[in-house]
Amino acid sequence: MEFILGPILAAFIARLLGNKLTVAVAGLLSLTGIAILFVNYPVTSLINYQESWKTIQDYPWLDSTIHFTFGMDGLTWILLLLTNGLMPFIVLSMKSELPNRHQITMLALLMQAGLNGVFMSKDGLSFYIFWELALIPIYFITLLYSESGKDNFKHTIRFFIYTFLGSLGMLFSLIYLNSLTESGSFAYKELLKLNLTYQQSIGVSIGFLLAFAVKIPLFPFHGWQANTYTFAPAAGSMLLSGIMLKMGLYGVLRWFLPLCGETLDVFQPYLITLSIIGIIYGGIIAIRQNDMKRLVAYSSLSHVGLIAAGFFTLSSTGFSGGVLQMIVHGINVVGLFYSIEIIQQLSGRNLNNLGGLAKKYPVFAVIFFFFVIGTAAAPLTNGFPGEFMLLKSVFSYHSISGIFAGLTIILCAVYMLRMYQFSMLGVEKGNAEQKIELLQWFPLAVLSIFVIVLGIFPQYFLDIVKPSLDQIMLEISNAKGVLS
Amino acid sequence: MIALLVTFLTAVFILFAGIQKQESQFKNITFLLLLFGGSLALIESQGIINLEPFFGKILEGYMGKEPMLEFGLFRLMAVAIITLIAAFIIALMPATNRKGSDILALMLFSLCGAQMMIGSNHLVMLFLGIEILSIPLYVLSGSDKENLFSNESAIKYFIMGSFSTAILLLGSAFIYGGTGTFYFSDINVKLSFAAHFGEFPILIKLGLVLTLVGLLFKISAVPFHFWSPDVYEGAPNRVASFMAIIVKIAGFIALAQFIQNFSWMQGWYNQFLIPISMITILLGNIAALVQKTVKRTLAYSSISHAGYLLMFVIAPFGTANMWIIGTYALAYGLGTSLLFYFMDKYSLESQTSETSKGFDIFNGMFYKNKRESIIFTVAILSVAGIPSTIGFVAKFHLFRHSFEGSTLLTIVALIGSAISIAYYFKPFKNIYSSEFSVESTTSNSINWIALFMSIVIIALGFAPMFLTHGLLQ
Repeated sequence: MEFILGPILAAFIARLLGNKLTVAVAGLLSLTGIAILFVNYPVTSLINYQESWKTIQDYPWLDSTIHFTFGMDGLTWILLLLTNGLMPFIVLSMKSELPNRHQITMLALLMQAGLNGVFMSKDGLSFYIFWELALIPIYFITLLYSESGKDNFKHTIRFFIYTFLGSLGMLFSLIYLNSLTESGSFAYKELLKLNLTYQQSIGVSIGFLLAFAVKIPLFPFHGWQANTYTFAPAAGSMLLSGIMLKMGLYGVLRWFLPLCGETLDVFQPYLITLSIIGIIYGGIIAIRQNDMKRLVAYSSLSHVGLIAAGFFTLSSTGFSGGVLQMIVHGINVVGLFYSIEIIQQLSGRNLNNLGGLAKKYPVFAVIFFFFVIGTAAAPLTNGFPGEFMLLKSVFSYHSISGIFAGLTIILCAVYMLRMYQFSMLGVEKGNAEQKIELLQWFPLAVLSIFVIVLGIFPQYFLDIVKPSLDQIMLEISNAKGVLS
Repeated sequence: MIALLVTFLTAVFILFAGIQKQESQFKNITFLLLLFGGSLALIESQGIINLEPFFGKILEGYMGKEPMLEFGLFRLMAVAIITLIAAFIIALMPATNRKGSDILALMLFSLCGAQMMIGSNHLVMLFLGIEILSIPLYVLSGSDKENLFSNESAIKYFIMGSFSTAILLLGSAFIYGGTGTFYFSDINVKLSFAAHFGEFPILIKLGLVLTLVGLLFKISAVPFHFWSPDVYEGAPNRVASFMAIIVKIAGFIALAQFIQNFSWMQGWYNQFLIPISMITILLGNIAALVQKTVKRTLAYSSISHAGYLLMFVIAPFGTANMWIIGTYALAYGLGTSLLFYFMDKYSLESQTSETSKGFDIFNGMFYKNKRESIIFTVAILSVAGIPSTIGFVAKFHLFRHSFEGSTLLTIVALIGSAISIAYYFKPFKNIYSSEFSVESTTSNSINWIALFMSIVIIALGFAPMFLTHGLLQ
């Protein structure tokens, strides 16, 4: 509960401070979540959560059957770390001259509360509620601070309807599962115990898949993504791509696969094909983009496609690679959006008008390069281990699909290096004079350290999630009878 | 009963006291009296006090040995909810300089009819309740005498309404012919015999259909909805708000109470109630998408809510499930009355231009009056059924309940919910769009009642256990 109430309290403080809210205070407020995480659940305490997803808090909510139940294990912990750890960077990314800073800070902190709830909920209904709660603040962030002027309503409503329709599918599945339980409960444990008939589990999984496919987004459901990312303010893009995408992937791993993974017998080839189409499609479109934000949006589509494909192969390599890549993608994409925000302040973010920034800002160019090669998955950067494991899992599922998925390495290198080349190298264009503020260096430095650290020592992170992934694998195999 | 008496006496009092006075003088006293009556009913429905024997003694001669009006705990709850919502609607009405408090009095008389409908245990009483509810509304919808549309609305409503009550009366006569009684409980017993033999007399089937037609007309379910957009549009805003909320809730609770006694025939009447519910949800939501004026959008949105409400009677239900209706009624009443309030307020403010009825009345609301725009946003989110508001709690219960009756219907309702986002969120474009931003906030004034209602919406959204553990069960 403290993960929900803490950020909400911080949001209210931000709102009450009003225009007095300075960058420093906002940064302090955003540290609430990560402070709670490290104080209450230090990494060492995870030993207690080795076996299964332990219930840590349980509050009756609607009636005797519907509770707010929160669980904790390695997977939840690491996603809470991602959410709460990225929050300070997201809050710091807001420009100092931003009007109504308290408002967007409040919304971002409220979204943090919702996201924490999503990753911790052990009850179907509270999972749904937090899932939606995380959506409302980001809707208002994109609506109020959009850069597209007149069309902003069109983009934001499209984004909202896409995701809302998806989540209603999930609500349907949850109600369906609930109607099958004897006690009428939504608890994760109760839902796991169900023995679904084949038809039932097909119905349930369609609902779940709709919700998660829109959020991830898988290939034909990605229509909302590019415009929303491009026109959202920097903080919004970071929230969306850094954390919110992980909601869908987390949902697949934690809810879809254990509850109705047996339907993968039918869906697996299609889902993996769609994921791979997403990888290639996103990559090819990203090559042609001149708007840096849009480029990163399509590269996100490509990356999460690979993670999803890894999950759908139902192999432990795919699972651990995917989880690692979720964290890594969060760090890299926030770093990229942060750098793009700085570049935009210097001389716009259109690649055609950029060039030669490295001469004036050599240190910044180096740090930016970290994020670029991290995303392009060069060895010894954080992108490499996860991507390698994912490709391995997809390859062992089917060699042809592995070859197509492997194209991501080439495509990603092409669009990332093209972006770097056009913006940092070459002839100097424009006349950027501004200095990069001291406060702006801090997130860049921290994030770029993580690019290297995670690249060299991925094992520490994998050890944290390993037990919970094994547990999920066990639950899937219980449901499925056979394990691939 | 206490709420009915208080409402009636208030109505008589302000009708006579207010002949020569200004209407706005009576608004507050009406609000307080209704609040008093509603709260008493609420307290009574929790079993804290019991006033029924007292009233039973007074009205013994009128109601006979077997009362035609029966206020059990749930019905008291429903009466309390409807009275309180009516109190808030009246409190939200803009103050006018009009002389004479007849409009307020008529609204209260109409409310008496609604309370009787909820409490009726007898077909004749149901008919009387509907008539008492409707006749003041025919007058009210034409109360804007200078407006031609208002006149049109009144005549349309009158003709359609009287026609439908006639059908309802015919249906009651058939039911009486088939069962030999007007009492709901006796009808139930008679039908249980018929169910034993597996055959229901055609007279009862016909009677049920005709009575349902009359009631479906009142809650404006498709295909009996044609009157409602026109009538709402023509009627003055406050009357439209009253019609959309009080009539719908009362009509639906009466329908649920009535049809509960026919549960033996559920398989049979579901055959047409399920399609009606589906079409109502889909048509209401899709038609609302293309409306140009705020009022018509709200009218179609209220049609779609009639469809959601009908989902409740599809699945077998007993008194134990009745609180779902209570929750939905509360959520719908709170949210919709706020929507109507803001529409009324902002269309009055932007009366200068010709386009004072479209969504552009809300242009730049966020920049003009921040607090009000937040209250409005909360109301919209609640009506759209977004979590953390009471609207979600209500919708969730309804979906979960109807799932037992018809899976397909639940899917249609979910799709309808998704469609509804497209028009419920339309005003956000006007409210928040930066193109309408003004330099400084022009006003910080706030209606305390609206604020209170929005707080209730959020509070009950986060803590619905008060509804389920204490209030409604």
